[in-house]
Amino acid sequence: MNTASNRDGLIHTIPELLAHALAMETEAAERYGELAQQMETHHRDDVATIFRRLEKAETKHLAEITEMCSKVELPHYAPWDFKWTGAESPEAIDIGRVHYQLSVREAILLAYEHERSAAEFYAGIADTATAADVKKLARQFADEEQEHIGWLEDWLAKCGPGDAVAVDDPDPPLGQE
Amino acid sequence: MEAVARKFKPKDFKSELKPIWCPGCGDYTVLNALTRALAELELPPEEVAVVSGIGCSSRIPAYTSVYGFHGVHGRALPVATGLKLARPELTVLVTGGDGDGFSIGGNHFLHACRRNVDITYIVMDNQVYGMTKGQASPTTAPDWEGSKLTPEGTGINPFQPLVVGLASGANFIARVSSSDPVNMAQIIVEAIRHPGFSLVQVLSPCVTFRPEQAEWRDIVRTAVVDFTGDAARAARRLMTDDGFNVGKVLYKGERPPFRPEHEPTDGSIAELEARFAL
Repeated sequence: MNTASNRDGLIHTIPELLAHALAMETEAAERYGELAQQMETHHRDDVATIFRRLEKAETKHLAEITEMCSKVELPHYAPWDFKWTGAESPEAIDIGRVHYQLSVREAILLAYEHERSAAEFYAGIADTATAADVKKLARQFADEEQEHIGWLEDWLAKCGPGDAVAVDDPDPPLGQE
Repeated sequence: MEAVARKFKPKDFKSELKPIWCPGCGDYTVLNALTRALAELELPPEEVAVVSGIGCSSRIPAYTSVYGFHGVHGRALPVATGLKLARPELTVLVTGGDGDGFSIGGNHFLHACRRNVDITYIVMDNQVYGMTKGQASPTTAPDWEGSKLTPEGTGINPFQPLVVGLASGANFIARVSSSDPVNMAQIIVEAIRHPGFSLVQVLSPCVTFRPEQAEWRDIVRTAVVDFTGDAARAARRLMTDDGFNVGKVLYKGERPPFRPEHEPTDGSIAELEARFAL
């Protein structure tokens, strides 16, 4: 699980915050798209639909952040220089935690966990930054992530008993005899 | 952190073709790490070539936008060697799996290390032949009973790619885990930058035929010591290693890469014909 935070207060300026937001939203949009494509390939349209909706939401969010960034000269971070504390940006679902038999509920929970990590990341910046403009923008981003969390909570609430069951594969991959 | 934006994004190095690996496969992460590394290095796609053999992981050239050669089983390294010698200005990468690289292509592996041509070899090691539905590979543990072809295990000690690579002359050796794509990107950048033959072993689980490898993410640990340039010391470390120390470069040698002198050429047909004239 990604547990990105800004407890050490390493993001101090608007360009630094925007560079992180741009990377995070780019990776989230691309990752949801990748996962949707994987699930479509394996005829898991129920789970693919969830990831596609999230991809669309993240792409919209990314477009807004890209627009904000157009007026700012962003610093360049190498992938390993970003201030996340997890292995990747907090909103990108870990590919290794996905499986073709993933239940609908598991997929929603996975997305929920990462959307919460994203909100916590921005909230951490809002709590620790000293500059008022950085605090304000980070709080705004955290609130926007809350919107996605709200959707996922709604979807979770609508899950039926069948949505929690891993999908059965009547023709599983068998080792060659 | 620098104030200059990069010319390329990782996405620029991905092709329109979508991977068909199993969801959860470590190879997705390798593709992402590789494209991040190429973007960070600002290498124009037309100046990079990825060569592979056969296997799940050998599909990577098709999923990238750089030049690619999806070749014959086990023969990626000689193809890449020839390419690099003929076109030294290209950045040449080789991707493949443990079966392709250490069994079918085992002899090529030894001599590619020995020749030390400036190429980077990324081996996705899942200790199984995944594409052919789960047979023991050279790196499979002797007691793995998951295949009906070896119901009581192979009983054979696994091949040790990093030890053999070091002994054969590889100039850069690292091991990474597919559970840490950012670290992997950093190591791939270092491997490409280091002159000579660079060997990067990726612990990349096969979620379908070795589902127990999902535990690797909890077993791997960051290597506690930094790289050495002393081959004897590196050999001692690798010989006593359990295979789960990841995330750092283990060896960086200083052996100059093999770079034969090319005769000046104008590239014309007439010149080529003249060379073959009796």
